[in-house]
Amino acid sequence: MRSEILYPGAFPLVKIELSAGEQIKAESGAMVGASPTIDVESKMEGGFLGALSRKLLTGEKFFFQTLRASRGPGEVLLAPTVPGEIVILELDGVTEYMVQKDGFLAGADSVRIESKMQSFARGLIGGEGFFILKIGGKGPLIINSFGAIHRIDLKPDQEYIVDNSHMVAWSATTSYTIERASSGWVASFTSGEGFVCRFRGPGVVYIQSRNPGGFGAWIRQFIPVSE
Amino acid sequence: MIPHEWRETLPRMSSSPNALCFGHEFPTSGVPCLVQIGLQGLTVVFTSDGQEQQEDIPFTALSISVGGLDHDHLVLKWPSKQGERLLYLKDAELIRTFRRVAPPSVHIPFEQAASVARLARWRRMGAWGVAFGILLTGVAGLWWGSDLLVALAVERIPVEWERKLGEAAYRELLARQDLVKEGPAVSAIQEMTRRLVEQIPHNPYKFEVTVVKSDVVNAFALPGGYIVVFTGLMQNAACAEEVAGVLGHEIHHVLQRHGLERIVKRLGLVVAASILVGDQRGFAGLMKQFSVEFVGLTFDREQETRADIAGLHLLYDAKIDPFGMIRFFERLSANDEGRMEWLSTHPMSRGRAERLTAELAAMPQLTPVPFTFDWAAVRESLGAPPSAEP
Ligand SMILES: [Zn+2]
Repeated sequence: MRSEILYPGAFPLVKIELSAGEQIKAESGAMVGASPTIDVESKMEGGFLGALSRKLLTGEKFFFQTLRASRGPGEVLLAPTVPGEIVILELDGVTEYMVQKDGFLAGADSVRIESKMQSFARGLIGGEGFFILKIGGKGPLIINSFGAIHRIDLKPDQEYIVDNSHMVAWSATTSYTIERASSGWVASFTSGEGFVCRFRGPGVVYIQSRNPGGFGAWIRQFIPVSE
Repeated sequence: MIPHEWRETLPRMSSSPNALCFGHEFPTSGVPCLVQIGLQGLTVVFTSDGQEQQEDIPFTALSISVGGLDHDHLVLKWPSKQGERLLYLKDAELIRTFRRVAPPSVHIPFEQAASVARLARWRRMGAWGVAFGILLTGVAGLWWGSDLLVALAVERIPVEWERKLGEAAYRELLARQDLVKEGPAVSAIQEMTRRLVEQIPHNPYKFEVTVVKSDVVNAFALPGGYIVVFTGLMQNAACAEEVAGVLGHEIHHVLQRHGLERIVKRLGLVVAASILVGDQRGFAGLMKQFSVEFVGLTFDREQETRADIAGLHLLYDAKIDPFGMIRFFERLSANDEGRMEWLSTHPMSRGRAERLTAELAAMPQLTPVPFTFDWAAVRESLGAPPSAEP
């Protein structure tokens, strides 16, 4: 698997070259184009119950796709749904990343994806749903964001505060607690900036420069409401 | 130097990296390394550019804690020549070996760390347990018709918030109505409202009453203190005290949060449970969709009775003749039902007026203080004859 990001910036594509017999995992619906040698299989990562619970609790797509170069070498083109940057992380077999449900685009077959029920409070107010993806294993992992991806490096015990709707992925060695952004529940609910996450190192946190929920709200004001 | 046998005592468990090492000069994402556990301590092997580098750390130099998002990493810390080093272990086999081999001096901190991790896991499971418990209780509660859950949920909604929701519905509704903005009718309603509201101790609401031009004999209250009175109601009232009675009743729908109760009941369990566990944002979204439904909101019999009784007491405290309210109810129940919309939202029964009469009889004699306006003039300003038909 050799991957290359084309048109870096807001509207990138990833080109992945596969040798014969090689396969990758991709978010279903991410495929834009492929050589005729590539076959697409939908597979339920994490078993039926895992897939079902992901579907029910995160509204996420039921399947990941497996793209396999079954009939000889070929290439696939992948793109995320939202405008934003794509980043390729090389997993070393030890490092694990927690990835919010919309952040996963593709990964090598040797990349391991689990959906994980997280703590109730984090699920409820953390903004990324009750399930997040825990991704480990070895090989390239391709994540995408809404807007640009910004990397924050945290030394041991170093802290950083991130608005919860901007989180994309973070290494499993970091920990975080959820805090209210502003004083008073009413203020948080009405200002729309509910909660922030206080991350604590060591590790890396990837955040997105735009907030999908905020953007949605901004768009909605231009959509006429029928009486 | 470290004796060679250290590494011979246990089989090499794996040759690929099994831990992440953090340190001052390392990248913040950590450096993968191979940790092996011997009888005296750890050996950490780093491979960079094909070059193997290793560090031996005696158990005595280690301090132990748990880390990571799920408290599932064993964190070993020691001072090295290059500064403090941290090792994050997750491999279960490796952690078991560590526990087996580590000397007694390390046992206590290890067990402490392990119990921190267990506690965190339990707490997480516990929170899920409580959440499911609440859901189950909720299902059971609603199933058996218990209003406890609804009451609990309603209690959790902040007043300010209720006010915002009510206001949204109110503005939306008024935008489509013909309003009476000033004149005798408006100042009469304002005077009545002021006298009533003054009597409410610790009132968290700012009441706003609007008069809407319409023949329907009706008045209603929205959550948060928004009350609408139709001119039809005023035209049909023989005296101001009758209208004040309706106002007192509507004010108590607000104070007792009947609208919210109704909505929570209607939206059901999920919403109630989500408010209980603190997720009011979800509720906000739903309320927005349902805000228009406020208008068609009817209350149940029990709520009506509670509003009647409390409204009567409010009239009494405000020194407004409570007989007006009772008389109005009696007249409504005797009247043609078709024109009386208040009847459709307020099922009128003789029992209702009778209950109020009984309640009033138990209260000490009252010397009413009349209103400053002339009711006949108010009626005339609305185009009704100066006195209502009996
Ligand atoms: Zn009522």
